[in-house]
Amino acid sequence: MTSSDTRQPASGTTPSPKSTWPPKLDGWLDAVSRRATAEGILSSILVPVVSALAALVVGGVLIAIDGVNPLSVYQAILQGVFTKSRGFSYTATVATPLVLIGVGYALAYRARVFTIGGEGQYLVGAVAGTAVVTAGGVGDLPRVVLIVMGLGAAMVAGALWGGLAGVLANRFGASIVISTLMLSFIGDSLLQWAVRDGIRDPESYNANSRPITAAALPSFFGQKTHLGFLFALVLVPIAWWLIRRHRWGFRIDALGHNPGTLDANEFSSARVTLSVLVVAGGLAGLAGMVETTGVNIRLGQEASVGYGWDAIIVALIGRLHPLGVLIAGLGMAGLTIGFESAQRQFELPSSLVSLITAFVIIFVVWGDAIAARWKEAR
Amino acid sequence: MRSVSRRFGETVALDGVDFEARPGEIHALLGANGAGKTTLMRILAGLDRPDAGTVEVFGRRIESFEPGPIRALGVALVQQHFTLVPTLTASENLVLARPEGALLPPGRTAGVRVQKLVEKFGLEVRDGVPASQLSVGERQRLEILRALDADAKILLLDEPTAVLTDVEAERLLGVARALADQGRALVVITHRLAEVEACDRVTVLREGIEAISDGSVDGYTRADLASAMIGTDTSGTITARTTRRTQAAPVCLRVRDVSLGRVSSLTLDVGEGEIVGIAGVDGNGQSELEAALSGRSAAESGEVSISGEPIAPGDPRSRRGQGLAYIPSDRYSWGLIGPMDLADNLELGRVLPIRPNRPARHKAARPSLDHWDVRTAGPHARTSSLSGGNAQKLVLARELDEHPSAVLACYPTRGLDPEAADTVATRLVAAAEAGCAVLWIGAELDELLAVSDRIEVLYDGTLFGPYLPPFDRAAIGLAMAGDAADRARTATGGEADPP
Repeated sequence: MTSSDTRQPASGTTPSPKSTWPPKLDGWLDAVSRRATAEGILSSILVPVVSALAALVVGGVLIAIDGVNPLSVYQAILQGVFTKSRGFSYTATVATPLVLIGVGYALAYRARVFTIGGEGQYLVGAVAGTAVVTAGGVGDLPRVVLIVMGLGAAMVAGALWGGLAGVLANRFGASIVISTLMLSFIGDSLLQWAVRDGIRDPESYNANSRPITAAALPSFFGQKTHLGFLFALVLVPIAWWLIRRHRWGFRIDALGHNPGTLDANEFSSARVTLSVLVVAGGLAGLAGMVETTGVNIRLGQEASVGYGWDAIIVALIGRLHPLGVLIAGLGMAGLTIGFESAQRQFELPSSLVSLITAFVIIFVVWGDAIAARWKEAR
Repeated sequence: MRSVSRRFGETVALDGVDFEARPGEIHALLGANGAGKTTLMRILAGLDRPDAGTVEVFGRRIESFEPGPIRALGVALVQQHFTLVPTLTASENLVLARPEGALLPPGRTAGVRVQKLVEKFGLEVRDGVPASQLSVGERQRLEILRALDADAKILLLDEPTAVLTDVEAERLLGVARALADQGRALVVITHRLAEVEACDRVTVLREGIEAISDGSVDGYTRADLASAMIGTDTSGTITARTTRRTQAAPVCLRVRDVSLGRVSSLTLDVGEGEIVGIAGVDGNGQSELEAALSGRSAAESGEVSISGEPIAPGDPRSRRGQGLAYIPSDRYSWGLIGPMDLADNLELGRVLPIRPNRPARHKAARPSLDHWDVRTAGPHARTSSLSGGNAQKLVLARELDEHPSAVLACYPTRGLDPEAADTVATRLVAAAEAGCAVLWIGAELDELLAVSDRIEVLYDGTLFGPYLPPFDRAAIGLAMAGDAADRARTATGGEADPP
């Protein structure tokens, strides 16, 4: 978002190129991933911010209907996130998987590869990583080695899970939306089987794995934030650089804009599709293991908390830009953490957070439509 | 139809055309691509409106051009592209087109309706199978049945035989004759001379004007029709080359027995410094030929090689490395990425693993843009902001800058104004004169006559030729309309095509 090029050719003098531009691009994803113009930056930042505020207003109305003063709720949320010592630490922890998976989604969506399989890849990654670090005979290895092995196994498993959808799409023309969704259900079943049977701790009464404390990620920022957040922070500039300066990023954008031209001139679009699914899957797998070894002590049935789904929203609100994903991930995590404490304090229904995030999405889509129309009218 | 005119923006599709269809007759409407045949029929069917002129159907002047009322008068158009619902059966498609009341009829009633029509008109169509599973011929017959179901008195068939085998095409013309004998008026759009001979009257359109107006088919020879279709005017928009290559050059681009879709077992050589023009009416295998030669699709069989090295399909970077430049027929689908900037588009096919930063990329693109005279706000401009001519020059800049040894140019002047078309042609001729083998697939004969060292005619997936300069316009025109193919068939003794 550095260069802002407002020197567009005078569109009034040339006969509108729109009529000669046959590919009908579905409006808003195009609007967010194209090269930045001053107008584009304005609408790509303004729309999500205004949408988030509007969603909070609607949420406020809902809170008021519940008989609570919305202002005091929001005040409590802000206090919860920013002033309490553990607030930001919690937020960063919740944001970690959202950002890791969200950056993968953002890359895929730039290529118009509409994977929604982050949840399955996350779970498969967690299972594979846990299996490796709790296997017999590895207990004596140094912690660093165990961590690397676990995270590596998780990334490979997630990448395979994502790559499978790519193979199905390239070989058989299967819809990526459908196959990644189905693979997510299979991933969840795999987790249920693993913790009950496959890698169950035989000495535990509950269905969960052996403790993974030997591979636990080091924490910083007080007691909650773990090394994974650092991964997320490092990933953002890497992804940004890939998009702007690496051939792979160029091919991703080219695939999103015109697969036919990519195929005829630069590289096989099928292979770009596969690669982006593998990378997004690997990142989701990494997120699964990072969450398991950073936050939990064992892998249990409840490992699936929906980060893979929420990250879709994070990627979209983050405008498919790594930095945007980071901001959106932190924002969503803050909202979640804040509402959790406010909810207890004011006895509010727990569904309020999801209601408000859903409203954010609706307003973003709506706002983009308005921005596009406004742009066209000028 | 009296002095009907229609223009689309700058393009004049029809310029004061008179046309009549009479009951009991088959009227052939002949013309090359873009002659205005389809536009004329769409106006008659109420799918389009004329800018000037009048249309009368059975003596009633049409005021509002809406498909519904005109269909009620008994005019039916069977379009070139099928308009059946692929998942519905024959009877369901008929019910959909002409429902009887709000409720759907029981399956049996609908089936009886199809059966009656099939028997009445002798058009064999299977019912009970989704339309997508019917053969092309059956789908065509179903389209016609649907028109007849609405009791069409005037039946317009837009290139009905384009997708049919010869046997099916013959059968269809037989059906057309039977329908005419029942007192219906038929109009058959075609670009095949053999089919015109089965009709009663003929109108030939060329660039929106009648070259032959409502003549009796018997009064014209094939050569008359062909020259009316392609014109005799040799002053094209493109500057003709003054010298042509006469002696054979070493072969550069070699095409051996390539088959893909319509194209069957096609063999062709293009020598160094030679421009070979592929003439033909669209839809005779040009798009398959383009896909196979460019490596966009793998050929079903056969091999394309350049300087002895085979071109691997699906690997555009190797293709470029081997020295084959590709100017696609549709630059917006296969040539350019509209939302990206000019510098990015110029880099396609040779993007470095780690790219320079944006200012450096823009700076690197500038000399090339200047050299090829791409008129634009600069390398940072979005490619979709370019006019057609500048967009094509951008493609040329990318493809020709690295001195390829061969160029596959598909309709390189399509959609360009005369000045831009001439520039593009000049650049390609310059490339050939520098030793590049140029294969030029084109639709406009004038253009090919102006630049080619040799012309081959693509008809129904097969090449006819070679035609060498000085070119015999009439002979090429006849070949484009299928005359050479007809004669080849007669010589080998009849129906080669399986039903």
